[in-house]
Amino acid sequence: MSTAGSLTWRGVYDFLEGRSRAAALLRMLISVAFVLAVWQLIATYLVTNKLLLVPPADVFEALGKEGASGALWTNALATVSAVGAAFPVAVLLGVGIGLALASSRLLALTAGPMLTALNSVPLVALAPLFIAWLGLGFASKFVLVTIFTIFPVLVTTETGLKATDKILIEAARSFNASRWQIFTTVTLPFAVPFIVSGIRVAWARALVAIIIAEFFGSFAGFGYAILAAGQSFDTATLLAYVIMLGMLGLMGSVFFEWLERRLAPWRQE
Amino acid sequence: MAGDAKMADALTIEGINKVFERTGKPSVEALRDINLSIREGEFVSIVGASGSGKSTLLRIIDGLLPASSGVVRVSGHAVTQPGADRAMVFQQDALLPWKTVIDNVAYGLLIAGTPRRDAHATAQRFIDMAGLKGFEQHYPHQLSGGMRQRVNVARALAVNPKILLLDEPFAALDAQTREIMQTELLNIWQKSGTTVLLITHQIDEAVFLSDRVIVFSARPGSVREEIPIPLPRPRDLELKRHEAFGALVDRIWHLIEHEVRSAVANNRA
Repeated sequence: MSTAGSLTWRGVYDFLEGRSRAAALLRMLISVAFVLAVWQLIATYLVTNKLLLVPPADVFEALGKEGASGALWTNALATVSAVGAAFPVAVLLGVGIGLALASSRLLALTAGPMLTALNSVPLVALAPLFIAWLGLGFASKFVLVTIFTIFPVLVTTETGLKATDKILIEAARSFNASRWQIFTTVTLPFAVPFIVSGIRVAWARALVAIIIAEFFGSFAGFGYAILAAGQSFDTATLLAYVIMLGMLGLMGSVFFEWLERRLAPWRQE
Repeated sequence: MAGDAKMADALTIEGINKVFERTGKPSVEALRDINLSIREGEFVSIVGASGSGKSTLLRIIDGLLPASSGVVRVSGHAVTQPGADRAMVFQQDALLPWKTVIDNVAYGLLIAGTPRRDAHATAQRFIDMAGLKGFEQHYPHQLSGGMRQRVNVARALAVNPKILLLDEPFAALDAQTREIMQTELLNIWQKSGTTVLLITHQIDEAVFLSDRVIVFSARPGSVREEIPIPLPRPRDLELKRHEAFGALVDRIWHLIEHEVRSAVANNRA
């Protein structure tokens, strides 16, 4: 009886560890259900003060209310449009600067250390300054997200280009490939998966940047709504917007992971 | 005159010296006064202890490295850079992981500007010759080590080189695969009629494949002795059990034994 039971469990585990899409979906559902259950238990028995924590049901109710009043869509539009405009610009700039750094030793020696130093500064601290320069709203959000997001893309682009197998470059040279041909057929394709993983990291940073920008000054957006809800002790609405933000992060992460696998299938093995 | 042309040397190496200058460290003399000539269609191997500059010489012949002095001529023309008259097969995996087998084999042709359709037609011929039919659309990571090395050989032959340069091409393979690859290389060589210069650590491999074995001495690398291999062709693996084969292997081993032992001792120290 117990051996049959353990066999069944083993079958379940084997399925869950599998690579199938159904297994991945089931893994996600189980973990979401677990989090919701623990949350519900804590909110019912441990932290009953609704100012501090509300049960999941209240949060979904708040989410429905925000959706019905249209506030959810106004805020979503403000946040998504700012990130959607700034993110591609940041990726292009990051790849461009990374290319320049990888191809010019002079630039790498002079600008490289400065960029490294800049990267280690928590740039979000400059948010009030950008708002003073550019005012409340789209422009300051755009600039803050762009600047904060460039770095992971820039660093992985440079790393990827410089990490190219020497033997692949030598083989291309052996076929008398020009410098440009070596770049387009060897170093750039080699760097692509590195760049995509940089973009994946950048997406998470872009969401941090947009929230900070909206905390400091704006009239709409998830960050604005979170701050407003916090100030009026509306914990349910606050958590509703945090969940929306989480969804946005998850969607990007899933998409870029898929893109990485798609573009570099040989790195899986 | 016609007879002269037929007997022409495919490759001549005249007084090659190579010294590596290193900043802040003593320079290293890698090759000293190398003189060799290889007839058209001949299969020649170079054997020697590690550090005897064999790979350096091959890179100079391919045009990847400049010699400090001396001249390399291919059909009478001095070599200054890589060219379509020579093709190299490297010891490590030098295939582009993001390209399929057929695109890898066509790589040298595409770099040289051959239209894609023609390049693929030529590539297909060499894929068939190398016994890779049916694997055209596979990626390198889906192939075994032996098959990957066949792709490397096919890619080198596809550009129709006068001289095929092989840098320990089977060193990374297991013993059984290596023996099979040796016989296949002989078949391909006989079909294509190319001149081959092979570098190897394996004395039995050199004797089995070659018309002539050049024995190098180490530090600096120089030609110690040239041993003709008068064994009949076509050859098969049976040959390795013959007395004459064993005698040749022994003779070459005695020539380099001392240096191999001291190279091993140096590596331990």
